[in-house]
Amino acid sequence: MINILGQVAEGQIWQPTLTELSYFAPELVLVATLLLLLIGPLIAGRGSGATLVMVVVGMVAAVVANLLVMNQVVTGPVSGLAPAAGHMLLVDNFSIFFKFFLLLFLLGVTVLWMVGSAATERNAPEFYILLLGSMLGMSLMVSTMNLLLMVMAIELASLPSYALVAFDKRNRPGAEAAIKYVIFGGTCAAIMMYGVSLLFGVFGTLDFTRIAPQLVEIFENLAQVPASKLALLGLALLAMGAGIAFKISAVPFHFWCPDVFQGAKIEVTTWLSVASKAAGLCLLLRLLQVLAGSAHASGHGFSAAFYLQVVTGVVAVVAAVTCLLGNLAAYRQQSVKRLLAYSSIAHAGYMLMLGAIVLTGDVTQLVWQTVVIYLVMYLLMNLGAFGATALVIGQTGSDQLENFTGLGRRAPALAAGLAICLFSLVGIPPLGGFIAKWWLLWALGQAAMQQMHWWLWALLLWASFNTLLSLFYYLRVIRQMYLVNDDRPGLKVPAGGVVLINVCALLLLLSGTLLVNPIRQKVGRYTDHIFGQSPASIVQVNQPQNISGNQLDGRSRERIDTQ
Amino acid sequence: MSGHLSWLIFTPTIGAVLCLILPGQLSRRIAMLSTIAALLLGVLLFRDYLPGGSPDPTVQRQVFGSSYGSAEALKHVERVTWISGTNFKIEYYLGVDGLSFPLVVLTVLISFLACWASFTIKKAHKGYYVLFLLLETGMLGVFLALDFFLFFVFWEVMLLPMYFLIGVWGGARKEYAAIKFFLFTLAGSVFLLVAIVACFFFSGRALGEPGGTFDIIALSTNPTILKYFNDPATTLAGYRFGSMIFLFLAVGFAIKVPTVPFHTWLPDAHVEAPTPISMILAGVLLKMGAYGFFRIAYPLFPTIVHDWAFWIGLVGVVSIIYGALCAMAQTDFKKLVAYSSISHMGYVMLGLAILSPTGFQGAMFQVLAHGISSPMCFFLVGVIYERAHHREINRLGGLWLTMPTYGSMATLGFFASLGLPALCGFIGEAFVVLGTFRAKESFDWAVPMAILAATGAILTAGYILWMIQRVYLGPAREEYRHYPQATRTELSILAPLGLLCIVMGVLPQQTVFNFMNGTLNQLVGHLNSAHQQILQSMIQPLASAAGM
Repeated sequence: MINILGQVAEGQIWQPTLTELSYFAPELVLVATLLLLLIGPLIAGRGSGATLVMVVVGMVAAVVANLLVMNQVVTGPVSGLAPAAGHMLLVDNFSIFFKFFLLLFLLGVTVLWMVGSAATERNAPEFYILLLGSMLGMSLMVSTMNLLLMVMAIELASLPSYALVAFDKRNRPGAEAAIKYVIFGGTCAAIMMYGVSLLFGVFGTLDFTRIAPQLVEIFENLAQVPASKLALLGLALLAMGAGIAFKISAVPFHFWCPDVFQGAKIEVTTWLSVASKAAGLCLLLRLLQVLAGSAHASGHGFSAAFYLQVVTGVVAVVAAVTCLLGNLAAYRQQSVKRLLAYSSIAHAGYMLMLGAIVLTGDVTQLVWQTVVIYLVMYLLMNLGAFGATALVIGQTGSDQLENFTGLGRRAPALAAGLAICLFSLVGIPPLGGFIAKWWLLWALGQAAMQQMHWWLWALLLWASFNTLLSLFYYLRVIRQMYLVNDDRPGLKVPAGGVVLINVCALLLLLSGTLLVNPIRQKVGRYTDHIFGQSPASIVQVNQPQNISGNQLDGRSRERIDTQ
Repeated sequence: MSGHLSWLIFTPTIGAVLCLILPGQLSRRIAMLSTIAALLLGVLLFRDYLPGGSPDPTVQRQVFGSSYGSAEALKHVERVTWISGTNFKIEYYLGVDGLSFPLVVLTVLISFLACWASFTIKKAHKGYYVLFLLLETGMLGVFLALDFFLFFVFWEVMLLPMYFLIGVWGGARKEYAAIKFFLFTLAGSVFLLVAIVACFFFSGRALGEPGGTFDIIALSTNPTILKYFNDPATTLAGYRFGSMIFLFLAVGFAIKVPTVPFHTWLPDAHVEAPTPISMILAGVLLKMGAYGFFRIAYPLFPTIVHDWAFWIGLVGVVSIIYGALCAMAQTDFKKLVAYSSISHMGYVMLGLAILSPTGFQGAMFQVLAHGISSPMCFFLVGVIYERAHHREINRLGGLWLTMPTYGSMATLGFFASLGLPALCGFIGEAFVVLGTFRAKESFDWAVPMAILAATGAILTAGYILWMIQRVYLGPAREEYRHYPQATRTELSILAPLGLLCIVMGVLPQQTVFNFMNGTLNQLVGHLNSAHQQILQSMIQPLASAAGM
């Protein structure tokens, strides 16, 4: 203890200034909310209502904090919270977007929870503690380039998720799913940790911005590098990839997904289907992008470019297979939750395709725009689809496809909203889902034009072709709702839920028609100056005036050097 | 009126929203009003092109006669940026010329009549009319959009309403038919989508700019883009760009036409769809495929088209013969009409293949004639089905005696479909066959194909006459004796169609050719000159190299 204090005094251990800490106000607010949820029930009781008030207060505070931070960051590209050794955490426009995204999604899930299970929930504070905990982990996942913190963030996101899946004690499938989830997740985490430790062993640092240039250098001078070291590196990268692929539920690390989605409570399923995948995907994109930035800076040695393409190729193949498998496996499902689980695997595949092109020079900006648009649309579609499923479960007791029979007549508003969300998931114009898919195809086309690789065109065709495949199973639900005749009595669905679903549907409809351009313009705000985007953007660091000068100067200079 | 075309497209949408909001009892009235409003807006388009509308007599005779795609040729243009980016622009770009104008009028007319004919719909009025009106918006949008992306959006907008209209209000195997329709069309759309993306990027590359264009007119008239698109040296993923993208587009449109071998969705969809939707399907939806060839696939790839002409013609001839033979084998009345549609649309493909003004005029006339006669035939079938509740040709008989007025109307409609001279079906087929004969200098295969196509007319006569004999002629059967005469509503739907069958057959010049020949001739001229220029520009380097 004394030793550590001594180190602090000597400046060996870094201490953030207040201004630097202020960049992490949103995360700090989240932590504060967590504490409030732990302590608050002692005073206000454990009711759902009291919990909701606390959560809403926390969310509003987080939004305000995020807005404040955004106004500071907007002038400069990146702010880091870091010891001199490198970035521990970073705040850029994209991480701010992602926090907004998570907050918006949390709002949706909360509405769903209010409609569905708030009345009967006896452990509301714990539910939200776990939910917010995983949210904190996810927002950290997209705000770091430090491998240690990355592992910790993934764990922080995962551990509460395990508990959330098993949250309902009386639900046996949930417990079973949670066990599967824990075992699978734990194994993947261990593998990832192993990979990270190997990387640390090879490079002596955990800062990926420093590892990336060295990696590129190794790629360039492959002939001089001993084979054993190469094998080690390959193993390390693969192991790291496994950890991230688990979060994205990319093939072959997707096995947990259908079981967990089916077993968990529907609010939890909704949460995991979007947030967890989004975080994993964005983390992967960031890593790849830093790698690309380093390759750019090194002047694109031939072999480096070649090996980067190998990395890209692996991502592309995984993406293509994930898409196909998700779409094919969804077809036979009788449980709608499970069907949507496979659909989310397929969508993870589509989004993963972006990972295959983020290394292409000029497309980077477009890739991030696509990510933002896709994620927002995906959020709306999934919230709507899962929300409607939740309402059906609430009224009929199960999520079997059978229970959707005649919904078009039994609950017209609900069915119409769900149908729009499902068609949007297929990607049919003029809905938001089509716009998202259009940007994906657009980005792929752009990259294909840059690189003139036939396989990028093939990937483009593949993505379109998979749209066709996906039509089958989404239509099964719609068919059941509208085309199958029966004379079951009408459903009395809670109005709040129907409003939520139709708001999603309406937004999807608008974002596919009138709002396409406004959205596109808004998106630019969050995708400018993304960390590691290109060497150029790092050089033009505009420091916010209120940051203590020296330290940041030193850091940004360092960053220029490493790039 | 500014925004004429937008009003035209979105009047049905407004109607759909009103239907959705207001109580269900009003739906039919609202839908009728919206389709009438759209019909009026469509007919108002005539105003500028009627005699006296323009002082120049040549303009009166051949409106839209300016060179293809020029500012003078496109009327009522509306152009607003819809989605803009750093190096691309997607526009809300509408316009009408001789190619789209007749089709727009056809669409509003058939939509109105089909809406009028929707009195047979018994359940869920509200949903039906909402979807119906959305469908009309989609159809009009496809014919009027001049931006590739916008075109695609409208193209897909039709899909969903159609799926539900067949799937919910259809016959016994409606689910199967609906999903088959959806799947086939979406498969075509996927090809279309990839083609759109590729065309955009390659047009940018042709112009040496970072981004390209979605403007269909620019894509089909800019010589730099045309040359680059048709150059065999332009490759995509190792294949010749032009051939590949033309193939994508052709498959996408051929599914919609539909031609053999992509036709299998059509009989199912037609048989299961309710009568008014069959009318729309046959009268308008099939025309979109042909329109796609005229507007996009051909103008973008004039040279490729020359290379592929044989295959397009072959597909056309096979469709004619195969469709006719299938029609002959049917015992289901509606299926017979459905297969006859495939056969008739085969003439369109053949007319397209020969790349001559006669061929194009014949093909386009056939599109319009079929757009009038086939909805009539489907409605005629629907009238029987309403009474008999079955469509077995062999169980029917002697209906002319039972229902004389209806019988006469039916004979008129089916003779028009058969291609009897002085009725509308004749002109298109005659033009196509004659044009194909005359194209023998350009293509060796023209004469055999013309002969086969002419044989198709015999087959058509065969199955239609045989059907008329079995259904309408013969002694009146006891079981059908009590059938009521055709009602006023039914006659009011049949009469305008029948009238058009006659008028278009007798006065083709005044009713149809005057309005579209200008554009069609310019289009053919444009295709041929573009083709020559591209060949020249490809030969020139070779020639100069040889000269050295």
